[in-house]
Amino acid sequence: MKQTQFVNLNSQIWQQFQAYCELNNTFPEDFPKLYRKICNDLAIARARQYSPLLIQQLNQLVQQGQKTLYLSRKNQFSEIWQIARSAFPRALYENRVMLGANLLAFWGLAVIAFIWVTLYPDAVYTFLGQSTVLEIEKMYNPAGAVQTATRDPDKDILMFGVYIYNNIGIAFQMFAGGVLLCFGAVFFLLFNSFYFGAIGAHIVNVGFEKTFFSFVITHGSFELTAIIIASAAGCQIGYALLNPSQFTRSYAMKKAAQKALPLIVGAFVMLVLAAFIEAFWSPRGIAHEIKFVVGAVCWAYVIYRLYRGMRYGT
Amino acid sequence: MLNHGLENRAFVKLPEGVDIAITSAGLVSRSYAYIIDFIIRTILIAIIATVLMLFGDFGEGILLVMYFLISWGYNIFYEVKNGQTPGKKRLKIRVVQDNGLPPNFSQIVVRNLIRPADMLPVGYFLGLIVMCFNPRFKRIGDWAAGTSVVYEEDAMSRELLPDGPAERPGIAFSTEEQLAVLDFIERAHEFSPARRQEIANILSKPLNIEENDSVETLFNYARYFAGQNNINSGSSNSESKQ
Repeated sequence: MKQTQFVNLNSQIWQQFQAYCELNNTFPEDFPKLYRKICNDLAIARARQYSPLLIQQLNQLVQQGQKTLYLSRKNQFSEIWQIARSAFPRALYENRVMLGANLLAFWGLAVIAFIWVTLYPDAVYTFLGQSTVLEIEKMYNPAGAVQTATRDPDKDILMFGVYIYNNIGIAFQMFAGGVLLCFGAVFFLLFNSFYFGAIGAHIVNVGFEKTFFSFVITHGSFELTAIIIASAAGCQIGYALLNPSQFTRSYAMKKAAQKALPLIVGAFVMLVLAAFIEAFWSPRGIAHEIKFVVGAVCWAYVIYRLYRGMRYGT
Repeated sequence: MLNHGLENRAFVKLPEGVDIAITSAGLVSRSYAYIIDFIIRTILIAIIATVLMLFGDFGEGILLVMYFLISWGYNIFYEVKNGQTPGKKRLKIRVVQDNGLPPNFSQIVVRNLIRPADMLPVGYFLGLIVMCFNPRFKRIGDWAAGTSVVYEEDAMSRELLPDGPAERPGIAFSTEEQLAVLDFIERAHEFSPARRQEIANILSKPLNIEENDSVETLFNYARYFAGQNNINSGSSNSESKQ
């Protein structure tokens, strides 16, 4: 069949198909059948070596049809909550080895730093500048103004913004950094863990531990765990690049990213929660005992969910 | 499958059993799109900032939240909607899956969360290097998500071939040569008349035709190759082609 005959025979169908594609979000019942027909026409046009323009037009029709037929579902932002609810625990299970390694690395180094600075109080200055240490001391000084009953509510909002912007930004950067063969994620993780351990010990050394730990204990449960989870998510991708097993590197990376995505979404939700607690609960001037009790409840909840997730995926 | 090696086309196999050609968008168009998006984001944040700054600490806190949402969510929001940020729309490029389908939510989130890795150490340097080393110009985020950025095909509605008399050439053309003639004729309207003539004249000698009618003759040949069977009469071409 010559090209002109082919075009005359089919052009009406093509036009109709094009019109269907331009309908928004809906297509008639015979659309899939028409789509397969267009695909067939494209294959025929190629095999018979019809003119390039005709092939290009059919190619474009197929692309349009494909877009219409396989259109993803709308309103996918509600998926964030879905992922955090059901895919997140499953991802904790699927990534449990990487998660375990990250948990161990974080808490291991934090404990080492804590012991070191407890034994040699001056060691804290080798890692942190004097001004930073003084700043932190001022923040947690029991006589200071950080935790009072009269903190300005506007200040709470400001700190909420800071925590959202800063902490979630760091978590996302760790996820991205993990792609670089885990380096980016591990660096941030170990830096934070060392920082946390050293500061903790230093605060104990100067005797401000009650204000410090009553402040960090509640939101720390969500925040620290989320940071570790974000790091594990990043490392999962970086490790897939290092060790793709039987797959090509590009496929291994793709697979690892899909596997790790619920982790970073879960970490995101946890960090939003942590920011709320840190901005509106932690600085309240309530008795330390109450804060410790609430903090313990939060830690118990986080550890329980983490255990359930890593063990059973629920 | 016609591929002159001139166009950077990737052929993607569809489950329907046919390949489609998609053209990946390169560094420059993606950079322009990024710059446009960057300007839009900056203006957006500047406007929000001026308003919120009136509210002191409270406004600053909200501003930081907004800044976070815009800097991380801008691309995700638009790409989830239809695969195009305003900048990409302007440049007529769009994000698709490797197989040419619209990307799904998780892929878009991945490709945008991996962005900081592409930005290392400064100004998307790493992403640029990675893009240069693969024919589909994927940055690291695209590799992780299994997406790529492709040119959107323009909706084409022009005539395939203007109607007219067809003429059988004096010598036999190979399939490749026939396609070359067809390709030239179909793109003829893109050239100025003088340039059209100039190109057609290259063939006038080997085909033994007058220099002045070479374009017209090639048109006639093309109609013959395409199978318009009105060699003698000019009247049987009343049916339209598009």
